[in-house]
Amino acid sequence: MSLDKITNPLHIRHWLGDMEADYIYTLGIAGEHFFKEIKENGRIMGAKCPRCNVVIVPPRMYCEKCFAKLEEWVDVGTKGTIHTFTVATIDVDGKKLKEPVIFALVKFERGCGGLIHKIGETKTKEVKIGMNVEAVFKPSFERKASINDIKYFKPTE
Amino acid sequence: MFGKKRVAIVGAGLTLFRRRLKETGKELSYEASKMALDAAGMELRDMQSVVLGTAPDAFDGVHMKGEYLADGAGAYRKPYTRVFVGGGTGVFTPLAGWWHVASGQFDSCLVVAEEKMSSCYPHPQYAFTTIFDPILERPLGMNLIWIFALEMHRYMHKHGIKKEDIARVSVKNKGNALDHPCAQLGAKITVEDVLNSEVMAWPVQRLDVSPTSDGGAALVLVSEDVAKEITDDPVWIDGAGWCIDSTLWTNRDLYYPDYVECAARMAYKMAGIKNPPKEIDLAEPYDPFDYKELHHMEGLLLCKKGEAPKLTAEGVTQRDGDLPINPSGGLLGVGNPIAAAGLMKVCEIFWQLRGEAGKRQIPGDPRTGLAQAWGDLMQYGSVIVLRR
Repeated sequence: MSLDKITNPLHIRHWLGDMEADYIYTLGIAGEHFFKEIKENGRIMGAKCPRCNVVIVPPRMYCEKCFAKLEEWVDVGTKGTIHTFTVATIDVDGKKLKEPVIFALVKFERGCGGLIHKIGETKTKEVKIGMNVEAVFKPSFERKASINDIKYFKPTE
Repeated sequence: MFGKKRVAIVGAGLTLFRRRLKETGKELSYEASKMALDAAGMELRDMQSVVLGTAPDAFDGVHMKGEYLADGAGAYRKPYTRVFVGGGTGVFTPLAGWWHVASGQFDSCLVVAEEKMSSCYPHPQYAFTTIFDPILERPLGMNLIWIFALEMHRYMHKHGIKKEDIARVSVKNKGNALDHPCAQLGAKITVEDVLNSEVMAWPVQRLDVSPTSDGGAALVLVSEDVAKEITDDPVWIDGAGWCIDSTLWTNRDLYYPDYVECAARMAYKMAGIKNPPKEIDLAEPYDPFDYKELHHMEGLLLCKKGEAPKLTAEGVTQRDGDLPINPSGGLLGVGNPIAAAGLMKVCEIFWQLRGEAGKRQIPGDPRTGLAQAWGDLMQYGSVIVLRR
């Protein structure tokens, strides 16, 4: 029986419930290397697979293709290119964001894979697929070993 | 080599798809299951096994959703399995039912898919925010629309596709859904309506997206021996394929769904299909977004890479075209209760092949149809090929 005409579900006979649970996630073996380097040295690391001869970004403890254990960490630099991007204008509630936010998939020349992150210091109309960008880090004393230690990526030219 | 027994579908059931239904998830499962059994002329006692498909527990809000829904799906004291492969669940569920029977272990299997997204308050989008990597992605405030916007943009960029080329899919599917008695969002709209709708995350706009829904769907599967006893009109499961790509979606190009091609090739090999566009009479590829129908037509090898928008513009994919795509109205028109939406597509192929699709019936004499679903982090493909 459709209740579509009732726009506020609190107006139907109901029971309110929740599934509250909080979590603490470990960074993992590869994540520890990745975030430690971001926090302490402002470097973006990948992991080299000796068998497939590729550097995987972000690094992983194993190669998902050949199942080799990865133990060689490689600095892939802080510069990459925009592989694709979106300009988000509404939030998860469907409300308009104060400022549009640009999210991009940034790929690195020296690694396969990439990072999802925000693009800053540019206008939404100027962003393009293929644009060269570089990571802008928070000052070291503000870094917490989080993906948000990178503030955003900004265009290099 | 592909299973000991040929497996037939002999009945299908589908509830209304609506934003919010009064029925509980169990009740939706019951209604769809009962309809499918009635259509097959069978009773629950005739079902030797049950497979249920349903997406994240967070929608219904019960952290053992498979067990919670079991009685509504007819599983009381039967061999029972819940399967879950994200958005791919709806087409994967009958594949799991297929191997129950093809293996020879059972002569019958009740296949049920359910989703009650409206329980998640204030909006099921909240359940989607926790599907991402908790360390690499969630701290950025990701949501589902944004990642599909990234994929859509990459697809458009790679082939030089314009928004209006994609909007035609939404126009077609919402129009087709006007003829579907279960549909939530059947509508006569224009390309301009899509292009003028609210921008959510460029290039995704409101009318590019399917709605969230409540709904249930079910099929009755039996072995060849049983099928021959009870019906003159069985529909055979002749192709089954499924594949998962890397969870690190940043490691893919995004312009092309390789994992869908992998699943399709597996299903085509089993069905002996060498030339998919020639040998498949109609298809129901997964269309939670309008660009996904095009993306999936290409992944399913129904056309060349980048060619799907052209076929759509030429009318090839209309119900009276050479290759009808989503004659049901798809997720864009009928609605998107995740697992039930995928199974709705298999129901549609079943009805079309039996000539029972009513106003939606495609012309000619369709013999071979395909349904496909897609899910997880843009990484999962499930494909089923049906023949009359």
